[in-house]
Amino acid sequence: MTNFFNIVSGTSGVWTSDLSNSEAYQSFRANIPLRKIVVDSDSSKQWTLYDAGPKEITSPLIFLPPVSGIADVFFLQITNLSKMGYRVISLEYPIYWSLAEFIYGFIKLIDHLQLDKVHVFGASLGGFLIQKFAELTSRCPRVQSIIVCNSFPDTAIFHRTDSATLFWMMPPIILKKLIMGNRSSVIQSRDKTIQDSIDFMNERLESLSQPELASRLTLNCLNCYVEPHKLQKIPVTILDVFDKCAISERVKQELYKMYPNAKRAHLKTGGDFPYLSRPDEVNMHIVIHLRQFEGTRYSPKIMVKPIVDLSPMALENGSTSKSTQDIDEN
Amino acid sequence: MSSSRKKVLLKVIILGDSGVGKTSLMNQYVNKRFSNQYKATIGADFLTKEFEIDNRLVTMQIWDTAGQERFQSLGVAFYRGADCCVLVFDVTAPNTFKSLDAWRDEFLIQASPRDPESFPFVVIGNKIDLENRAVTSKRALSWCQSKNQIPYFETSAKEAINVDKAFQTVAQNGLAQETEIDIFNSEFPEIKLDQSRPQNDSCSC
Repeated sequence: MTNFFNIVSGTSGVWTSDLSNSEAYQSFRANIPLRKIVVDSDSSKQWTLYDAGPKEITSPLIFLPPVSGIADVFFLQITNLSKMGYRVISLEYPIYWSLAEFIYGFIKLIDHLQLDKVHVFGASLGGFLIQKFAELTSRCPRVQSIIVCNSFPDTAIFHRTDSATLFWMMPPIILKKLIMGNRSSVIQSRDKTIQDSIDFMNERLESLSQPELASRLTLNCLNCYVEPHKLQKIPVTILDVFDKCAISERVKQELYKMYPNAKRAHLKTGGDFPYLSRPDEVNMHIVIHLRQFEGTRYSPKIMVKPIVDLSPMALENGSTSKSTQDIDEN
Repeated sequence: MSSSRKKVLLKVIILGDSGVGKTSLMNQYVNKRFSNQYKATIGADFLTKEFEIDNRLVTMQIWDTAGQERFQSLGVAFYRGADCCVLVFDVTAPNTFKSLDAWRDEFLIQASPRDPESFPFVVIGNKIDLENRAVTSKRALSWCQSKNQIPYFETSAKEAINVDKAFQTVAQNGLAQETEIDIFNSEFPEIKLDQSRPQNDSCSC
């Protein structure tokens, strides 16, 4: 299959949205290198990632993006959490067409990076994939804990399971329409930070090639659901928003029922991409989630002065322009 | 059907000196549990509790703080969007009562609510099961009245006395503060959902 539709290829690097031009984003790109890793025999299947924080940590927090996201959509988590002593890795999917391919590839990536059990923050599709990954690796666990953000446990909610096998041949414009769903690009949020997060994500969506879009949508929509009983031993935090978001109330309730012991980190507002629109609140919930592993073998952070460790005040520092100086000093 | 009900997230913050029983009050209210073993709270943590008031689904997110981190900024994210603040003291320890002023000020500075004078506080005098009481109800009530009529409750987290009642007031006063969020999208009334699809799930990009 040739990349017939691959007109827009990869990341252009020329971003125009407000968030892409923010000091925080520029500083992130200037300080944290983008890595590309091939773990499959097919060298065109390439993982793209940002890896920040202490490399001696072998149980980092790994971020998996939604369909339209690339690795940089978690730049506010990578920047601020790495400053607090966490090892954080943000990933972007290779062109994988099936769940099995993803799971095989992700295991190989974990091995390649010489990691122990990992913590994973999965947004939307990323949240679904990590639930399936944890379920299917439950006999030989690779996942220590999970944070799902505006995510889902069953692809049937999208009502696209029938057409999912045909995505590979659809032109990008149709695929983008599928991704936008009934949240057309015309939608404007009155909240500037939410609007900025939508603009930022739309820019990423535009940068994706046809195979990238089609493969992720296929993973997102191929008939599949999570069997939660295999995940009972894994600490879960469910992070979601109470304002307008693509995940319906019914799906949220389904997720709560599947994980009755999960910590429920609700945000009043934040839209579809709270890691971009409400970074300090999302980071605070991540810190609270990860605190239970401090001092254990699976801690994702190095021990620093406890007062910095334990207080959410440290979360604030990163979101200001001061962060630039701090990173430079490092 | 639950989806037609209004759904609200209430954020409640509990403040007070170390050892007054903040964590115990939260645990008694949410989990109906009490432990005699004292364990200092590290950083801040929260529990959620769901209930229904006036046909509205309320999810209360109750934040418990470390009393020992007094006067140290916990950051804006922690305080952001708070709907009610619960100030707790120990009726057997006068110092913890004297600290209420400072805790109230700390909250108002950090949360900077739009209208500080009318922001809902609730004061709880805890540990009334103990015999060595040192702060009288009269004294506590007079402080509450001087601060724009803050509701006052005397509780025992250990014996589950008045805890539910205090949090009911927290919920009611917090709700008055919080603006409602309609599940079905009051923010974009002009967008019609696709009728052919039963739910509002797009492929969430």
